[in-house]
Amino acid sequence: MTADENPFGDLLQDYVVECLPLAEQVGDVFVELERSWRAGDPAEELLASVKGRLHTVKGNSAMMGLTPMQDVAHALEDACALLARASERRGDEAAALLIAGTGLLVDLIRTAPADGHGTAAADFVKQVNGFLAATPHRPTEPEERRQGDRRGSGSTGRTDGTDGASSVVRIDFRRLDALLEVLGEGLIQQSAFAELHRRLLRRVGPCEELGELDQAVVAMEKTLKRLESTLMETRLLAVSTVFGRFPRMVRDVAHAEGKRVRLVVAGGETSLDKAVLDRLNEPLVHLVSNAVVHGIEAPAERARAGKPAEGVLRLEASSVSGRVVIRVLDDGRGLDEQAIRGKAETLGLEVRSADSAHLHQLIFMPGFSTADQVSRLAGRGMGLDVVAGSIHGLGGTIEVDSAPGQGTTFTLSLPVTLAIVRSLIVEVDRERFALPLTHVAETVRAEPEAIREINHRGVTQWRGDLIHVADGGAILGTDAPVRPPRRFYVVMTAGAKRRGLLVDRLVGHQDVVVKGLDPALGRPDVVSGTTILGDGRVACILDVVRILDGARRAS
Amino acid sequence: MADSFLVIDDSKLLHQMYRLIFSQGTLAGSTVQYATNGRDGYGLLAANPDLTLVLLDLNMPQMNGLEVLARRQAERLHPHIPIALVTTEGSEEDEARGRAVGAWDYLRKPFQPADIERLVTRARAEAAGRT
Repeated sequence: MTADENPFGDLLQDYVVECLPLAEQVGDVFVELERSWRAGDPAEELLASVKGRLHTVKGNSAMMGLTPMQDVAHALEDACALLARASERRGDEAAALLIAGTGLLVDLIRTAPADGHGTAAADFVKQVNGFLAATPHRPTEPEERRQGDRRGSGSTGRTDGTDGASSVVRIDFRRLDALLEVLGEGLIQQSAFAELHRRLLRRVGPCEELGELDQAVVAMEKTLKRLESTLMETRLLAVSTVFGRFPRMVRDVAHAEGKRVRLVVAGGETSLDKAVLDRLNEPLVHLVSNAVVHGIEAPAERARAGKPAEGVLRLEASSVSGRVVIRVLDDGRGLDEQAIRGKAETLGLEVRSADSAHLHQLIFMPGFSTADQVSRLAGRGMGLDVVAGSIHGLGGTIEVDSAPGQGTTFTLSLPVTLAIVRSLIVEVDRERFALPLTHVAETVRAEPEAIREINHRGVTQWRGDLIHVADGGAILGTDAPVRPPRRFYVVMTAGAKRRGLLVDRLVGHQDVVVKGLDPALGRPDVVSGTTILGDGRVACILDVVRILDGARRAS
Repeated sequence: MADSFLVIDDSKLLHQMYRLIFSQGTLAGSTVQYATNGRDGYGLLAANPDLTLVLLDLNMPQMNGLEVLARRQAERLHPHIPIALVTTEGSEEDEARGRAVGAWDYLRKPFQPADIERLVTRARAEAAGRT
C-alpha cells in the first residue's frame, strides 16, 4: 500500500514532522552509544532510551502504509533487543549497523513518500537478520513474525477526510515564491499611493482629505508589512533540518581519520528561509569536515598536549538582531600561523608585520590551503575561499578566530531570508540600482580632490586605508556620453574586500522583493536579481560580491 | 446521546488520524478527548464516567498503557468503560499482560477506520446489553 491509497495519506507532512526528529534523535543516541562502547561503558540506559522512539516511528510508519520505514524501524528494534540481552555482541560492528540503519531511516522519512527505496530497506533488513542469525540466542523468527502480521489489513478505507484533517499543509515552495511576488506587487502599489499623496500635497497643500489619505496609506503599509512577516515565517525552516545530518557525518569522517570526536549541537530550532538553508548545507558540510580532519588532533597528539583524547566539535545556531549566527567551534590545534605565513610569502604577500587576525583572514583567499596532505574527505569539493564565496553570495559574512592549541571558531552571520533584501537605492546615469545593505559600509560625498588616480584607477583614503573607487557607469554599463562628475560613492564590502562605487544620487533605503533575472537583461555579471521600485521602474539588484571580484556588466 | 471517546496516545500524528476517523460516517458528531500521556489520560478517564470507549496506546512515556490499566484495575475506576489497548506488531507479550490487567480488546497498528467502527459497534452493543 502506498501513502496515496492510505486513508491517512493527507497526514504525510504531520508524519514527517513527528517522525523525522525522532529518527534523528535515535541516530544521535547510536553515535553516543558507539563512543560509550568504545570507552568500555555498556551504556544500557542509552540503548533502552531509543525503544519508545523507534516503536513510535514503526507504528506511525505502519499507520501511514510506509512499509520500508516500518521494516527498517522494526529491524532496528530487533537489533536493539538482541544487544540489550547479548552484551558480547556490542561493539563497532553492531554500532555501525545501528547507525547505518538510522541514517537510512532518516533519509526514507525525509524523502517520504518517494518510492524506490524499498531495495535499500530490504537490504538493511537482510543485514540485520544476518547479524541476528549470527547469535545462537535468536534465529530468524522476527522475519516470519513480520510477514504474518502484515496480512489482514488490506482494505483501503475512505479517503474523504476533509473535516478533521490536519492543521499542517504541504505547499510547493514555488507557490510561496509566487505569493511573495504578489506581495511585492502590493508593496509597489502601496508606494505608488504614497508617492501620489506626496505629489498632491505639494500641488494643493494640506487639507482634511489628504490627511485621511495619508492615514489610509500608512495603514495599508502596516497591513502589507504584517502580510510580509507572516509570509516570511511560512518560508522558515529550523536549522536542525541541516544540522540533523552532522552526527552521522562527523562520526564517519572521524572514523576514517582515526580521530575521536564528540559533536555537540545547540540552537537547532533557530529558523531560516528554506532558500538560505538549501545553500548553506554545502559550506557547513565543508567547515564541519574540515574541523574534524584538520582541526581536531589524533588522540595521541591530544594526549601529548594534555587534552582529553576525545575532541569536541560544537555546532551552534542563534538569532541575533534579525540575522542568524552559526558557529562551528572545535577544540583542536588551531590555525597554524607559521604555515599561513610561509604560504603567504610564497604567494608574494607582504605579511612580515601582519598580526594573527590578519593572518587568519588569509585562509579565505583563493588557492590558500595549508593542509600538508590533501585529506580524502575535506580535500574534495570546495576550499575555504569557495566557502567564503558562498556565504558572501548569501549576503552573509564569515569570520575565523583561532588560538594555537586551543581550537578554531568559524562564525557565520546570515540573513534570515533572501526573498526580501534591505537595500540602498542609488542612481547612475538615470538608472536605479539596489545595493544590499549588508554589503554597504558607508556612503560618502565624492569630493573631486579626495579621489586621486593611481595606475589609471581611482583611489581614495577611507578609514585610514587606500581603497579603489570605480565609476558606477563603467561597471554597470549605463551609457551617458557626457558625464557630469558623480556626487557620491558607496563603500561596498564583502569579507576583506572593499571598493568604492561612484554614483549620481542616493535615493534611499528600501526593502526590495527579489525577482528572478529576466533573460532579456543579458548576462548577469554584476546583477543578482531584479526588483520593481515604487514608481514601477525595474531596478537591478547588484551582486556586490561579483563586483568586488572585478566583474563588469556585459554590454 | 452522542458517543464520547477518550484517546490516550503520545503521538500527535495518531491524534490527527483519530480526529479524521471520528469525523466520518457513523462516528461523525462524536465527542473525543485527547491525552498525550498515561497520567493525563487517567485523569480524563476518572473525570468522564460516560465514555463509550477508550483507545489507549501501549507505548508511552509517563505511565504506559499497561500501567494505566493496572492502576485502573487496582482502583476499580469505571470498570464498565471498555478500554482497547492499541499496540504495534512486536508487542505480543505486552498484549498478554494487558489482558491480565483488564484490557477489553486490542487494536493493532496499522488499523483502518473500519476497525475503529467495529470496536465502537461492539462497545455500544455491550453497553446496551448492560442497561
